[in-house]
Amino acid sequence: MEHTEHLEHTETPKDMKSQIWKTFWILFAFTIVDIILYFILLSNHSMMKNWVFIILGVVKAYYIVGIFMHMKFERKSLMYMIVIPMVFVVFLVALMIIEGDFTGLLRWIK
Amino acid sequence: MATNTLSTENKFTWGGGKSPFSVSYGKLMMWIFLLSDAFTFSSLLIAYGFIRYSFQSPIHNEIVKPLAHVADNFVEQMQQAGLFLQDHWPSPELVFNHFPFVHGVHLPLFFVSLMTFILIFSSVTMVLAVEAGHRMAKDEVAKYMLLTIIGGAAFLGCQAWEWTTFIGEGARLYENPYGPRSFAALFFIVTGFHGMHVFSGVVLNVIIYLNVLNNTYEKRGHYEMVEKVGLYWHFVDLVWVFVFTFYYLI
Repeated sequence: MEHTEHLEHTETPKDMKSQIWKTFWILFAFTIVDIILYFILLSNHSMMKNWVFIILGVVKAYYIVGIFMHMKFERKSLMYMIVIPMVFVVFLVALMIIEGDFTGLLRWIK
Repeated sequence: MATNTLSTENKFTWGGGKSPFSVSYGKLMMWIFLLSDAFTFSSLLIAYGFIRYSFQSPIHNEIVKPLAHVADNFVEQMQQAGLFLQDHWPSPELVFNHFPFVHGVHLPLFFVSLMTFILIFSSVTMVLAVEAGHRMAKDEVAKYMLLTIIGGAAFLGCQAWEWTTFIGEGARLYENPYGPRSFAALFFIVTGFHGMHVFSGVVLNVIIYLNVLNNTYEKRGHYEMVEKVGLYWHFVDLVWVFVFTFYYLI
């Protein structure tokens, strides 16, 4: 039996090219913001600083996955399948940084 | 029999003969592979975050300003000045301050920012190749694939240069003049693992590029292969965003 897969057309915006370039400039700008913030916050060692950089990373990830990897225009079920596990991973990253800080406290306590 | 299949198809999303996620099998499997690969990289970055914070934070550098002169024994000077200590994580701006062809100038994080831009740009050319593939524009796909390959190769070259400089200063998997040993070990493991992914991505891109030139996808009637490899390439870029954030900023 001849089987041709007939995929429902997931919509791609007509102005994809301009969207791509827009995303590029957004990513470019966020990277610059990252670097500037790094030098502004150089002497700051609070946990808040990490969250700022991680959130900026997640924002960049949103644009890369959403536009470049076309996730924004895919079925919602596919999106949740990929994105939800990663939300928990980001949570674990945050937890382990905090935990590492406590380990540091114990290690260097005089 | 045939009518039976047909009726199932109409009634149930998961009854077969249909793609419930509305993507082809290959693309779905690429997504699942990328998810598992994301877990691998996450474990490395989680380890990095934990080890980084179990050491004391870098000592704030007030001695060396950007564009200042850097002596050949810069690392020794910093050790004597008390900026590179065994129990303090080194400040990335003091470690990654080299730039090719510019000798003896303190350029904090300039090179790694350039690498980031190269990779983001090659991601853009990749997505432009995918977009051209939707329009079946063979020449454009080929052009953008070639640009992507050049971008990837440039990034790999940058990484090789950075490794050479880092090793040249005496950093090894088990030894690190800048501070804690785990700093160098994690650097080699995390960037090495990412570099390996970039390398395999470039190899895949070359294969796709040759296929495009050989009209393989023109004959097949669609450029979906470009999309699948594109997904992998964007993932490599995505991982670099986080390697950059963790290794150079946090």
